[in-house]
Amino acid sequence: MNKIKRYGRLYRVLVSQFLKTILQSKVDFFIGLIGFFFTQIMGIAFLYLVFEQIPDLQGWTLDQLIFIYGFAQIPRGIDHLFTDNIWMVSWWMVIDGDFDRYMLRPMNVFFQVICEKLQPDALGELLVGFALLILSISKGVVAFHAADVLLFLVSMIAGAVIYTSVKLFFASIAFWVKQSGPFLQVAYDMANFAKYPTEIYSRAVRFLITWVIPFAFVAYLPAGYFLGQRSAFATIGAECVIAVVFWIIAYSFFQYGTRKYESAGN
Amino acid sequence: MKKFLRTYLPFASNELKRNMAYKGAFYLFTLCSLFGSFIQYYLWMAIYGSAQGAKLGSLTREEMVVYVFMSYVTSSLTMISVSRELGRDVVKGSVAMNLIKPIDYRLSLIAKGMGTVVYHFLIPGIFVWIGLELYKVFILHLPAVSAGNILWYLISVFFSFLIYVLFDFCFGMIAFFTTYIFGMQMAKDALLSFLTGQLIPLSFFPGIIQRLFDFLPFSSMVYTPVMIYLGRYRPSELCFVLGRQLVWVVLLYLLGSLLWKQVTKRLVVLGG
Repeated sequence: MNKIKRYGRLYRVLVSQFLKTILQSKVDFFIGLIGFFFTQIMGIAFLYLVFEQIPDLQGWTLDQLIFIYGFAQIPRGIDHLFTDNIWMVSWWMVIDGDFDRYMLRPMNVFFQVICEKLQPDALGELLVGFALLILSISKGVVAFHAADVLLFLVSMIAGAVIYTSVKLFFASIAFWVKQSGPFLQVAYDMANFAKYPTEIYSRAVRFLITWVIPFAFVAYLPAGYFLGQRSAFATIGAECVIAVVFWIIAYSFFQYGTRKYESAGN
Repeated sequence: MKKFLRTYLPFASNELKRNMAYKGAFYLFTLCSLFGSFIQYYLWMAIYGSAQGAKLGSLTREEMVVYVFMSYVTSSLTMISVSRELGRDVVKGSVAMNLIKPIDYRLSLIAKGMGTVVYHFLIPGIFVWIGLELYKVFILHLPAVSAGNILWYLISVFFSFLIYVLFDFCFGMIAFFTTYIFGMQMAKDALLSFLTGQLIPLSFFPGIIQRLFDFLPFSSMVYTPVMIYLGRYRPSELCFVLGRQLVWVVLLYLLGSLLWKQVTKRLVVLGG
């Protein structure tokens, strides 16, 4: 219990340090926000243009697709906000030997990695995600009951954990090859498949994004519950199981990696 | 001319060599960007499956397959970022070194870009291209692209490349005003993927917006060469679109020179 309190206090200190740096460079913050905001908005504009031409996409309406799209952005944004430093580990920290300092401090290594940075750019994704969600609710595409709010929160957290697990796993490869950025990029980009219903893909792609890099569980499956197509157990329940399993795999791999870590030295 | 080549060719060949040196990472990035094309491919196939008519945005399903992959090849050949390097040089102050050398900084960046084009043409451009043509001939049972179209396409791609790098050079000068180029790059890439026709053929836009695109340089970057490849232009139209590309090359060149003069006047480098 004391340990948790100590970590909580440390996180607050580190985050407040970080917030100060944001306040110092407001323009950068705003530009980053705009960048990610635009990237996501273009995907929506694409859907609008396409639906000028077709009534529905294999039975999915435009409203439903927009809901899935928006739903996918929120776990992505949450993960992006809190664990962006994992990218630094995979690209530079191991090869530059910066990782040494995490190993020397008497604290959990993963905790140190994620608390070093908050990524405010992620607010662009969260903004788009929530805007689309509110739009969907106001249009009556999805009906939210009181209990659903809880399920929604659970699903968002589980989704973010899946993202973090994938990132952590592929970043950990750096402990052996020194730089794993490209691997991580490939894996992370698989998430783009999950913005649309997985039925449109071929079998092989569907298998890949469901069982190997499980991004289908982040958005498409749980969104199915809120669209009233499947039961909570089969969607959000499955998402949680996947999140836990992949987290355990990724975290043990990371732990194993830190034991194998050899400083690149200087 | 000979002196010109002797000065700037090494930039291109060095860049090519540098690209070759970091092959592993590049293959993976290529794979990443190809993923994007496959997502597009599946998405379009689903869209055509749900469509009532045979044509969407004046393209048939088969033409769309060609469009998706050729716009990938085209953008990998034309959208070569010079603003990234410009930004880095400005932020680090090394731009000062480039200003005192007896070379044109912009031309040296463009020459480097050419090196990357050659590399992208070899990997993965030519493979995707051949793969696409084989798919077209053997699976879709369509005639292969004519030699004439390939020739005009390559000419158009060259213009597109110049338009893009000249535009990107102007864009990169933002680095003189802010240090966070990454966010600006994201916003620019997102907007351009839309305006150039990389994400969706411009013929999907409402008529009035298409008219507007005719007066912007972006449609000349990806949409025009791909449509030439598809053989959608009559000879007279072909002359017009190529001419329009040339006009943009000249205009953006002049704009770049003007802006460069303005910003370097107020440049202060500390150390570097």
